[in-house]
Amino acid sequence: MTDTYAPLVNRSVDDWIAYTKAPIAPLGDHIGTVSVADFLAHVHQLAQHLPDAGYALNLCENRYLFMVAFCAAIVRQQTNLLPPNKNIATQEAMGQRYRDTYILHDGVVCAESIPQFDINSLTLSANTKASSEIAIPDIALDFLSAITFTSGSTGESTPSHKPWRTFVDSTHINGNYMLPSTERLVWLLATVPGQHMWGLETSILLPLMARVCVCDARPLFAKDIRSILTYLPEPRMLVSTPVHLRAMVLSGLDFPPIAMTLCATAPLAKELAVQAETLFRGQLQEVYGCSEVGSMLYRQTSKVDCWTIFNGLSFISSGNNDDDNKYIARGAHLPAEVLLQDRLQMVGERQFRLLGRNEDMIEIAGKRGSLQELNKILLATRGVLDGVVFLPPEDKASVNRLAALVVFDGQTTSHENQEDLKERVMEQFRERLDPVFLPRPLHIVDALPREANGKLPRKKLLALFESLS
Amino acid sequence: MSEHTTEQREMAELLVEALNLEDITAEEIDPEESLFGDGLGLDSIDALEIALAISQKYGVQMQAEDENVRNAFATLASLCEFVKENTP
Repeated sequence: MTDTYAPLVNRSVDDWIAYTKAPIAPLGDHIGTVSVADFLAHVHQLAQHLPDAGYALNLCENRYLFMVAFCAAIVRQQTNLLPPNKNIATQEAMGQRYRDTYILHDGVVCAESIPQFDINSLTLSANTKASSEIAIPDIALDFLSAITFTSGSTGESTPSHKPWRTFVDSTHINGNYMLPSTERLVWLLATVPGQHMWGLETSILLPLMARVCVCDARPLFAKDIRSILTYLPEPRMLVSTPVHLRAMVLSGLDFPPIAMTLCATAPLAKELAVQAETLFRGQLQEVYGCSEVGSMLYRQTSKVDCWTIFNGLSFISSGNNDDDNKYIARGAHLPAEVLLQDRLQMVGERQFRLLGRNEDMIEIAGKRGSLQELNKILLATRGVLDGVVFLPPEDKASVNRLAALVVFDGQTTSHENQEDLKERVMEQFRERLDPVFLPRPLHIVDALPREANGKLPRKKLLALFESLS
Repeated sequence: MSEHTTEQREMAELLVEALNLEDITAEEIDPEESLFGDGLGLDSIDALEIALAISQKYGVQMQAEDENVRNAFATLASLCEFVKENTP
């Protein structure tokens, strides 16, 4: 290896890299562990069959197939496009933006305007070579291995470029903070998808570079999570979100020991962190990041309030006189510096307090959306005069949902009933958004409490919203 | 829409409460209408909330690997039936 290349997989070929919970078509009736050698054999076979293209829109649902597809595209010098959702409108927007693209999938519904390749049409055979003869491909560090997208819904979202160097170095850094301290193979289960930055860094990239064997399942219910964890040997690791952890803690079920639990995507309450550590008899690390940089800060939420920045990254004041709580993230492995959306306060040399989350970007259950984009969609609905989609204050009892207030023009409201109008707006959202972003409730109002300059004060907005509930 | 049984009304009230449904009341949930997709329009996070509320109220744990659970989430009526059969 020279300075300009790094291996696709930095593991011993005889070690386990993945665990398939149920049969998946390309692997026939195989269930259970997959060795690095078999994984590389699968990657090579798929790479040989992929069509020629510059970009692979990787929509694979199964985590193992996603991982094989991700690596096969890289081996073929194709850039993985990782959109925020799988909606047809999003796929079409990707196809428009990146002309030389095909969809690489494992049975999802695809936009007809883009060529597609279904992995399920292939049979991928296990490795037949002796361990000493297996060559691990070297990837150029400046090769653009993936493009992730920061937000939303319409394909107008901002691309974030990921050269192979960024993934290699950030995964090496992440390994210092995310893995349980052990020399043994760690068995990882994730409740988040592999496509989004949080799931990608933890459940796809960590197994390529560290002694981690990832389960391909993505369980939802507490009992499913427990049943899979019970299958996996110790030491176990769980990658999750506050939504799933809350369901696990409140289920009343017992869990096998989980040496390390990682939680991200939304703020985790200290009380929940304490309960989870007791229930799992292990450590819970909360991680803070953004899709442009990846994971950046961590804290053991049960014990401390302050976040510590990962080595290899630094935050520099943005020099904005109006707001000295804005920071720019830098790292030698990042293609560009990134202005952080959230406001931070420096409290020690490498310690920060998170002051406020960005008001535009929202995360619900590991899925990111932009309020600005949601509002654009709302205002583009026929007959809508004014309107706003917003996140009401946290309700501790349940998952926080978006709400919307809509004003229709006079002519529309006099001709159509409220239910039809609501349905029209919801239809507009459904075509473009992941279901978790659909506003609930949606109220039709006569006007929004805007000030003369057009601004909509949050206080007045919430007062109106509460008077309706 | 058919009338609710006592169990269905109780389950409908649990859904409205667990999911903060504001546009619909318990009485308005049709026992045969699909809960997800085109019907009530619920999603996977809702399923998680419903499963949690059911485990706390009835002591029944939902598990998606179990084919019965996937069928159970189809409608209010099927959800009631599932809980009734699995109540310890």
